[in-house]
Amino acid sequence: MVDTIYAEDEIIGTKKAQEIISKFRHAKVTTIKRFGEVFNPSNQNFRIQKTNPALILAKKQKGFVLDAPEGFGIGDQNNYYFSHMYNCLYDCSYCFLQGMYNSANYLVFVNFDDYQNEIEKTIKKHKEKKMTFFTGYDCDSLAMEPITNFINDFVPFFSRYKKVLFEIRTKSINNTVFRKHNPLANCIVAYSLMPEALAKILDKKAPSVSARIKNMKYLEDKGWRIGLRFDPLIYCNNWKAQYADLFANIFKEIKEENIHSVSFGSLRFPTSFFNKLLQYYPNSEELSFLRSNDRGIISYDQSIENEMNEFCRLELMKYCDARKFFSCG
Amino acid sequence: MIEKNFEGLSVRWVIALKGEAEEIIKNYAMKRVATTPFPVYKNKDLDMWLILSGIGQLNAVAATSYLYVKSDASYNTIWINFGIVGSRNFKVGELIQIDKITSSDFQDNYYPSPSTFKNNNIERCNLITVNKPEKLFENDAVYDMEGYGFFSFAKKIAPYELVSVLKIISDIPGTDLSKIDKNRVEILISKKIQFIEKVLENLLDLQKILFLQLRDPKYFDEICLQKKFTFSQKVTLRKYLTQWQARFPQRNPLEEIGQRMTASQILKKFSDNLMR
Repeated sequence: MVDTIYAEDEIIGTKKAQEIISKFRHAKVTTIKRFGEVFNPSNQNFRIQKTNPALILAKKQKGFVLDAPEGFGIGDQNNYYFSHMYNCLYDCSYCFLQGMYNSANYLVFVNFDDYQNEIEKTIKKHKEKKMTFFTGYDCDSLAMEPITNFINDFVPFFSRYKKVLFEIRTKSINNTVFRKHNPLANCIVAYSLMPEALAKILDKKAPSVSARIKNMKYLEDKGWRIGLRFDPLIYCNNWKAQYADLFANIFKEIKEENIHSVSFGSLRFPTSFFNKLLQYYPNSEELSFLRSNDRGIISYDQSIENEMNEFCRLELMKYCDARKFFSCG
Repeated sequence: MIEKNFEGLSVRWVIALKGEAEEIIKNYAMKRVATTPFPVYKNKDLDMWLILSGIGQLNAVAATSYLYVKSDASYNTIWINFGIVGSRNFKVGELIQIDKITSSDFQDNYYPSPSTFKNNNIERCNLITVNKPEKLFENDAVYDMEGYGFFSFAKKIAPYELVSVLKIISDIPGTDLSKIDKNRVEILISKKIQFIEKVLENLLDLQKILFLQLRDPKYFDEICLQKKFTFSQKVTLRKYLTQWQARFPQRNPLEEIGQRMTASQILKKFSDNLMR
């Protein structure tokens, strides 16, 4: 899998770094001063790097807890996200990470304790407010769990703060870690989903949608709360039938009462991200429907966006209480 | 050997001395095309060039920039620095692909892309570039006198993924440097030529991926010849034509353009068509 590891001098001796390095017996380990030496140079090509990504182990210095982008919430007043990792095991064609970073290397910040201290401070500072912490924004935390043990460390941590929600956004069907812990009422395992036919084309290296639904069912049976994330909604020929089928298939398996929230939002990018994506995927029909709008964002035409949001809302209302719906973006 | 000259193939070798370059020149059938300020060699049919930089970092930078201009190298060009090095960790004759480059003079380090190491089973090592021949080999690394200078410039003119530093061990602690002559170096290199080819083949595969990303969409040149587009209009046109090809592969966009249409009217027409 990974044949090259770069590790910062400052953390290479830590328990977490050594634990991760020990999982790649055949990888060449090279020491670096700061991760930016490898991750940040501008003249790198994301798509080529994706053919053989290296693993970078580093120490996060600041910015442990960040405000979630506007419209990212699921009902709470304060929304935060934190990223212990940049880049993803999967290779989804529409993923904004390809536009955001110069490098496709997996960057893991190993100082989990510092994240937990900062999260703790944030919780104490706003203790009268309801808040959600999101992970899985800059990576798929669950997909990398066998390497990082991130969720194994953070589920017990969030079990101490019962009023705070912790969302794990994922496409992974790895459920080992959820078998090790008792279900946590304030933890949501939120699955990114799209119609199977689209996922086959776009969600490269990710588990099939049917496997994701099967895993949601497994987690639900174990007592974990489930989130459904239809973000991005993808416009294509026959999209209505495809999304209607997807919703029907999900609610055939998952009980409504175990769904914590449902969110959806159509595909959108900052212009610079989109330009890179179009260069990487010139033959993508899905990207051909997107246009620049007057806010400098690349998205579908407003009429398409409205139609998709409205259709999905009405369709989902057949199965689920609309008070659980949230729109993204 | 490279059998096919695919559209977009472009390779540049930067090598300090003739003895180090001889096997590469022979293997890729290159002929001398210039003598001063640096000797330059070129393959007759392929876009493959080689320059003899001479010893030292300044020479390496100067020769790389000279070859960049003289050969009109595109952004999508493979750049390889090749030569002999000393080390205490390897045996004489081993081929090494460099994965970290440091200098005794500068703070910054460079890291050639892991994509260039994929599946070739060639030993990898740090390179320390020094200003005079190293005899002590105090660190676990290989030592040369050009690599850092070469990489510091090459990474500015080509993607990291197409820049590589390849070295062959010629001396170890105790080697009498006066005995490393041209013949001995050529023998060491000739024994590794098939592995050097393997590294180049991998780089060529990466170059093909990049070439497909960077080329203009179909009909772009024709349309630009027909009407006058500003720079930013060309950017938009490129985007629309890319999307057009994905959406309407059977429809020729030239047929959408009326004779009297201006550049902005053409862009609007494409945009309207692509809307749904």
